[in-house]
Amino acid sequence: MLGKLAVRNVKRSARDYLVYVITMTFVAALMFAFNSIIFSPDIRERVDAVGIMAALVGLATFFVVIIVTWLINYMVRFMLEKRSREFGTYLLLGMRKKEISRLYMRENVLMGTGAFFAGLVFGILLQQILMAVLYSMIQLDYELHLEFNRWCILMTAGCFWGCYFLALFRCKGRFKKMNICDLMHAGNKNEEIRESHEKGKRWLLFLAVIFLFLFGLWLFFGGLLGGWNGGTIIGFIVGLVLTIYLFYTGLSASIICYIREKKEGIYKGQNLFLLRQLSSKIKTMRFTMGTITALFMLAFLGCTVAMMFGDYQNKILKEKFPFDVQVYSADVEDDFKKELEVIKDEAKVKYIYPYHIYTDGTAQVNSWLYTHLREFGTMYLKKDGKPDDKALAARDDGCYCEYDTYMKLSDYNHLREMLGYEKISLKEDGYAIHIKKRVLKETGDFSGQLKILGKKGELVFSGYHTEAFSQDGHNGGDYVIVVPDEACDLAPYYAELAVDIEGEAPGGLARHLDELDKENGSAYMDWSGDKEGEEEDSDTLQGPNNSCCGSDTIVSYAAVNLVRDNVIPEVKYILSSIVFPCFYIGLVFVCIALTVLSVQQLSDSAKYRFRYGVLKKIGLSKREISDVVKRQLIAYYLCPALFAAVIAGIISVFISRKFIFYTGIETHIFQYFGISFLLFFGIYILYFVTTYVEFKRNIENEM
Amino acid sequence: MDQYIRICDVEKYYGNGSNITKAVDRVSFNVDKGEFVGVMGASGSGKTTLLNMLSTIDRVTAGHIFYGDTDITELSEDGLSKFRKENLGFVFQDYNLLDTLTIEENIVLAMTIHKKGRQEIKEKCDAVMKLLGIEEIAGKFPYQVSGGQKQRCACARALINQPRLLLADEPTGALDSRSAQTLLETFVRMNQELEATIFMVTHDAFSASYCSRILFLKDGKIFHELIRGDKTRRIFLNEILDVLSLTGGEPSDVR
Repeated sequence: MLGKLAVRNVKRSARDYLVYVITMTFVAALMFAFNSIIFSPDIRERVDAVGIMAALVGLATFFVVIIVTWLINYMVRFMLEKRSREFGTYLLLGMRKKEISRLYMRENVLMGTGAFFAGLVFGILLQQILMAVLYSMIQLDYELHLEFNRWCILMTAGCFWGCYFLALFRCKGRFKKMNICDLMHAGNKNEEIRESHEKGKRWLLFLAVIFLFLFGLWLFFGGLLGGWNGGTIIGFIVGLVLTIYLFYTGLSASIICYIREKKEGIYKGQNLFLLRQLSSKIKTMRFTMGTITALFMLAFLGCTVAMMFGDYQNKILKEKFPFDVQVYSADVEDDFKKELEVIKDEAKVKYIYPYHIYTDGTAQVNSWLYTHLREFGTMYLKKDGKPDDKALAARDDGCYCEYDTYMKLSDYNHLREMLGYEKISLKEDGYAIHIKKRVLKETGDFSGQLKILGKKGELVFSGYHTEAFSQDGHNGGDYVIVVPDEACDLAPYYAELAVDIEGEAPGGLARHLDELDKENGSAYMDWSGDKEGEEEDSDTLQGPNNSCCGSDTIVSYAAVNLVRDNVIPEVKYILSSIVFPCFYIGLVFVCIALTVLSVQQLSDSAKYRFRYGVLKKIGLSKREISDVVKRQLIAYYLCPALFAAVIAGIISVFISRKFIFYTGIETHIFQYFGISFLLFFGIYILYFVTTYVEFKRNIENEM
Repeated sequence: MDQYIRICDVEKYYGNGSNITKAVDRVSFNVDKGEFVGVMGASGSGKTTLLNMLSTIDRVTAGHIFYGDTDITELSEDGLSKFRKENLGFVFQDYNLLDTLTIEENIVLAMTIHKKGRQEIKEKCDAVMKLLGIEEIAGKFPYQVSGGQKQRCACARALINQPRLLLADEPTGALDSRSAQTLLETFVRMNQELEATIFMVTHDAFSASYCSRILFLKDGKIFHELIRGDKTRRIFLNEILDVLSLTGGEPSDVR
């Protein structure tokens, strides 16, 4: 009998809390789809960096589980409260608390099971979409096929039921404390609005706004407010959390004060009703509203970060690796014989060009960059702002080689030709600098600070070139100075090989080249600057510390052997390891927050039905009531969304600015947040419309 | 002014086919301006249905209801809302106050819906609260005041726009006897001092004794009518009790 009752109750609950059931289904689908990326045997086979994705999806799952647990717990308590009269009746009929508790658990588990299996079905569809996107990113063809990995299903079930277990864990205790009288009368209780010290509390709104302003100032002009030390960071994070939670106390108090002061606005139309509705709802829900805001904010940020790396994938990667194949060797005598054998074995070679990077044994450009680029901060500066020679001598960050890097004009023009750029010409006593666009944008023209000496005296600067030129350790780190072939006394610093091949490079070419280096041992460079398996001895090398990787931060990829068609998918996969989990978190958080908002409104519809019934009796027309409903829902929905958008907007614009600055990507600083905002409001509108339609139906049915 | 409100052959049926319930069966009567009319009857006699039709909340199956020259049974949904807004005031057994608004705001709300000016709203609201003796609880929320005070607030809200007719559905139903008496005296004052026309549904003889005329409903039909005239309330109460005892009224209806 209990089983039958449970099934019937589940049917009813599923109808009453449809939004919740749909969200749980969607969560199960997302869990399954994202887990299947980790467990896909195809991907495991083809991508080396699968561990990064597994770790980051795992981390995202951890946060998702916490929030889903919160949702389930919230809903379990919520439904319990709403159904108190029903449970009271069960007790009256003589059911034991244990039985009721078991019945309720069974209902929840049944509802969860339904959502889980529906989620798996929907998850397969999502899995196909995710896989197709991922495969196209890593430049593989994806054929639609169902993938049911045992471990994937096990992990999804583990996460999903783990959430339920955690959420229902303490539910039994609630039933123990139940009392028939309280249960039977819980529904009749009026909303008790306790207003005290509202005038004082409204200052919290003002403080929240001030804090956000200061927070913005601190982010954008960190230096003005005591800089970025641990104390201020923790202080601001604590402040932000407090702001999010106290904002709503301040907001409801401000509305209440506005009403109490009988300002003109409350006498217009239904403003009084709406403002009171809003203030009482915000007041009783302030903690939940704070949590919803935090979820929205994290969703915005997750989405923004995903957008950034997605944009990077699309715009920067091709520029990062302009040559088909590039090989570095610390040994200037290296003739790349073995490498060429492997390349010729596996691909059709169009053009081969071995060359050298030279040095003049000075480090004026390196030192200038170390002391002027923002990436390095004050690391190589003394307190008085002058270069710190000791720190410069002891540096081991691997960004730049020990000495400045030079290239001969003939080599340079050869390489330009390979890349399809126009050749350049230099006067006998001229020199040029090929530099990353991002670095030049930051430094501006610094040629006046340099003194490049040729055989016949100081060379004259002729210009900068900023085309994509593989300057993450191959053609210098960030920059290379181009001089006429015979103009300077230069010594070979390291050897390079650039190869143009026909068509696409085969899948494992980079790996085969790497294996070659490992066999050689001595030729393989650890990109931190030390030779593998060899003690650091700067004098034994052709050029001590003759490897570098440039000053790129956030996304930096440096390798001895670069095969563009191998490396781009690999890097894209690594970047996807950030993009996918961020989207995952963003989606789940948005849906969960919107579910709570929606369920709150819909289940209160009985209360609202009465209120709107009163409005109808005192003369509001159907159209006017519809308008009030719309305005009430919009205000209630927009409140946490806009507040979260403001906070997330400040943080997003800040991180976008940093990202654009450090990666050199050409994007407007508002773009990432803008797209996230649009995406967010797409989902938001779906939930809003569903709630609005359902809400109107609920109140119109009985009015 | 005679024939202020005319109810002509009003019928209300529920259900369909062979399963029809006649809640109100060809009822006709008039209400004059300034009258305090009561409708009595046992549960299921159709008194609330009748009130709902008079108050435009429910539609008639057949018949007409005229407020002056306006036949409300012919009005559209929007027309009914407008009519309700401009002509009717309501007092219900369960007060129907909005729990998120203070006592004063509940009254103000009724006026803001009429798009009245701030000053006018304030003045009228103060006056009506004073008249009904609730000015001291103006800033309190419904849950903070007694049932009687809540009901007086509901009266103030119903009266504030000077409606053509004040409709009261078991207004004392949830009140203790003392609060009920205060409320009924308020009704009488509203009727006499403000010339409010009141139509009250009740099954309580004591409450009905405050009316100037009583209609007795049974199985959807008017079967008797009592007019107070110059009689004292006690005599009128006895007459009511007599009618109730004739119709087999429950002892619980007599307080």
